[in-house]
Amino acid sequence: MKKLLSILLALLMIFSLVGCSGKTEPEPTEEGEGSVLNLWTWNVEFWGFLEKYYADEVIDEYTLKKGDVTIKRTTYPSDNMAYQDALDAALLNQESAAADDKVDMFLAEADYIIKYTNSSATMDVSTIGVTDFSNTYKYTVEAASDANGVVKGVSFQCCPAALIYRRSIAKEVLGTDDPAEVQAALDTWEKFDAVAATAKEKGYYMVATPLDTYRVFSNNTTSAWVVDGKLNIDPAIQDWMDQAEKYMAEGYAPFASGIWDAEKTDQMYATGTSMCFFGPAWYFNFCMGNAQDPDKGCYGDWAICKGPQAHFWGGTWMLAATGTDNPTMVADIMNTFINDEEVCSKLVSEEAQFSNNQKVNNKFAADASYGNDFLGGQNDTAIFAELAKDIKFQNITPYDQGCNEGLQQYFREFLNGTVDKETAIKNFKDHMHEVYPSISVD
Amino acid sequence: MEKSKNLSKKRSISYAKWGYIFIIPFFVVYVIFTLYPQLLTIYNSFFEYYRDGLNIIGPNFVGLRNYKNLFTVNNAGYIPMIRYTLNTAILWVIGAVPQFVVAMLLALFFTSTRLNIKGQQFFKTVIYMPNLIMASAFAMLFFALFSQVGPINQMLIAMGAIDKAINFLGLKLTVRSLIGLMNFLMWFGNTTILLMAGIQGIDEALFESARLDGSSSTQVFFNITMPLLMPIFIYVFITSMIGGIQMFDVPQVLTNGKGTPDNSSTTLIMYLNNFLGVSKNYGMAGAVSVLLFIITAILSSIVFKSINSGDR
Amino acid sequence: MKKDINKSAEIKLLISRIVVYAILIFLSFLCLFFFYLMFVNSTRSNAQLQGGFTLIPRENFFKNFYNAWHDGDINIPVGMKNSFLVAILSAILTTYFSALTAYGTYVYNFKLKKIVHLFILAIMMIPSQVSAVGFIQLAFKYHLTNKLWLLVVPSIAAPAVYFYMRQYLEATLPLEMVEAARIDGSNEFRIFNEIVLPIMKPAIAVQMIFSFVGSWNNYFMPSLLLNKPEVKTVPVMIATLRSADYSKFDMGKVYMLMLMAILPVMIIYIILSKSIIKGVTSGSVKG
Repeated sequence: MKKLLSILLALLMIFSLVGCSGKTEPEPTEEGEGSVLNLWTWNVEFWGFLEKYYADEVIDEYTLKKGDVTIKRTTYPSDNMAYQDALDAALLNQESAAADDKVDMFLAEADYIIKYTNSSATMDVSTIGVTDFSNTYKYTVEAASDANGVVKGVSFQCCPAALIYRRSIAKEVLGTDDPAEVQAALDTWEKFDAVAATAKEKGYYMVATPLDTYRVFSNNTTSAWVVDGKLNIDPAIQDWMDQAEKYMAEGYAPFASGIWDAEKTDQMYATGTSMCFFGPAWYFNFCMGNAQDPDKGCYGDWAICKGPQAHFWGGTWMLAATGTDNPTMVADIMNTFINDEEVCSKLVSEEAQFSNNQKVNNKFAADASYGNDFLGGQNDTAIFAELAKDIKFQNITPYDQGCNEGLQQYFREFLNGTVDKETAIKNFKDHMHEVYPSISVD
Repeated sequence: MEKSKNLSKKRSISYAKWGYIFIIPFFVVYVIFTLYPQLLTIYNSFFEYYRDGLNIIGPNFVGLRNYKNLFTVNNAGYIPMIRYTLNTAILWVIGAVPQFVVAMLLALFFTSTRLNIKGQQFFKTVIYMPNLIMASAFAMLFFALFSQVGPINQMLIAMGAIDKAINFLGLKLTVRSLIGLMNFLMWFGNTTILLMAGIQGIDEALFESARLDGSSSTQVFFNITMPLLMPIFIYVFITSMIGGIQMFDVPQVLTNGKGTPDNSSTTLIMYLNNFLGVSKNYGMAGAVSVLLFIITAILSSIVFKSINSGDR
Repeated sequence: MKKDINKSAEIKLLISRIVVYAILIFLSFLCLFFFYLMFVNSTRSNAQLQGGFTLIPRENFFKNFYNAWHDGDINIPVGMKNSFLVAILSAILTTYFSALTAYGTYVYNFKLKKIVHLFILAIMMIPSQVSAVGFIQLAFKYHLTNKLWLLVVPSIAAPAVYFYMRQYLEATLPLEMVEAARIDGSNEFRIFNEIVLPIMKPAIAVQMIFSFVGSWNNYFMPSLLLNKPEVKTVPVMIATLRSADYSKFDMGKVYMLMLMAILPVMIIYIILSKSIIKGVTSGSVKG
């Protein structure tokens, strides 16, 4: 009897598992647009802002309400490209999906945005009413434009990245911790290398891992990763490889570890001996937990400057999916997060974001009373406002994420002394061909 | 007599349909969830079929090209299929050799009436335990423990054994050894218990008479234990080998799917898994699967033979 | 003279005993050491972990537990619920239907009986990875990724469990018993459910445990099929710890998550270790 019961229970559970894909009937709203807006994301950062600064009502973790429209979130993690994988499948299926199941708007990162902007899966946003880009940063518009310059989306944030240094170490190495003077000492890679040698003499490392500078180089390339269907390694990437090799050989960095590895993040404690890190506002606000540790951290012992080259890291673009039945609201959300000064101000003051509205950012940059305690009171917005103007978004291919991650991974093996340089690069090329069969390598 | 025979015959005929009814669920599920996917896998292996961003390439019939690719020297200068088969074999051997040596010794210890080991249940419980540990968690644990700032390096430095942290996860030798160590830990208890059962299955009288003949324990081992244990030993050995071919969780999680360093810990299944990632390369993945199937089939037929000879 | 031999034999035995116990203790230590380190580290804060090596637990166990349980990225309570659901359902289905199939080929005489039995034995060794490519392709084609039942239902056809059940039936079920039940007028399903299943209880229990543990720990298929946080099982979540990013910098929490992942199986093992170890030998064919 007991057994029978447990079997019944099991069957019941199966049906409940199978049955949870029930569908609700669509109810058209007054304007004749869809009643459900489906938003695809890979995390909840933007969703949180939507909840606070846009929606009228929070239904649950996955559902918001604005007027008559229900906003639904579909989230996949970006790990192992799960998000792109699922999104691609949904977009390939867009035509046959029911109106309320269609993707209306989705988010994308710089690393792969071009895959979507250069396809018919996204819409020209000017056709739905997003036309005012006078206050947004140029690179955020370039990033969202297709090959013909048609703008397909907007970013709600701008992610200029800076050189983040330990004030106390800078004082010993350079004799100063003033951001302007530090910048003057580090504004080219030649100077940066020279300072690295000084730092070593004084018992410090220039960087916690040579991989930290990768993004600075890869943002400043002069050619794309894939040229005419063939893998191409840009001179800037070559420069990085040379630098990384040198830094390990000379002992300017302690480990050739991954940028998120414990070896590296341990260097952010007060006991750490690495001077420079690289990252945008979100990096030091959210990813430097060890530096903010109450017992072992070094809160306030940090400052930022531009460093040798301008670069960016991250950014979240909103794109309108072709076939959306909520174009008006999609446009409204986009306009709100780039042109509504009240909302953009709150992103800066309450969310520690660097907004994509120059007017708003400049207001904070000019405010002498505004400062970040973690950076010893330095006004980071002022630095970023300057930096953001120099960012380039160029030589982009849909394969960049795979290429950038792959190169670092395989080159690290060389830096760790496991393989020689030639083998590392060969392995990288072979890996690329495996991941992207359509790319040829030599 | 005649009548009853007829009766039982009739009965078995009338119940035959129940035999079919009872095996239906098994076969329906098998055909839908295993056989059909298997056939599809084989079918795929003759096609160019993958995803490139938002485009699907294929399916285009390419004959044996996928297989040819697996056996062609690639850019990095090696033949993928050979290289990854070798990797898998090496990783298996590193764990399996100590696994079988230790398990054989322990099985002899535990079954020895002369030694009369106390606390057998405790020891068996402890050495079998790692077999039930989630392999992915075990690998993640080793990753954390053996990182450059992890407890093992901290311990070795504190003991003065080394003065600079060892990059356990960046060196070919250490990564392979760690994988071997984990596999050893996970399987030697299991093997011990199986071999023990085999030894206990041998007629006690044989040992008794050998002892009366004055044979040494080494002689007993080589003249009696080992020959009689052989069928079971071969069975355990080959199933371990088949398990080795399927090695995935431990190296996958330990190296984050990268088979670092220099692809030296990429196993066959990890290679297969790479094709099932973003590129959804069903063609190449299909070809790898077919080869896996062939290797396993050969090994399985050996198992079958050993089981059958054991019956006799 | 004889006494001397006895004595030297005794000393020899003593020495070999000491050596054997030393080996056993060393191996036991090796088996427990890494897990003990995991436990100790799960009681230390990230800053304490950075401070150095220790074998003494610290006071942050509950803090780490709280942080791990409420982690924003890795929803371990949901993962454990998913894993538990998949594991228990698979265990029930695989044992019930394997027993049913084994009973079908054992008790009834039908034309294909022998072929069916041999066929199941032949497919027993085929690794599940061989069907993975087609399986994944179909799952994507019919939008069945992220459906937990897709991990459960295939367990109905488990050749290794069938083989075990069949052997058990051959050893324990007298056919006369089935005949007798028939004379009593029971129908075939009732005979199986009410008479045969209770006899098979020990076999079912052993296979349920192994099946439960097997699916609790299963990583390959779930990692290919599940990418939505709300349906991920524990091993898939644990593996994402490895693809590190900033959210995982708290190593105390990471150790705690690993501890949580293996704890349910450890508890089962501690309670049932005797019958599990017995099960290893009696079911010497494991998938």
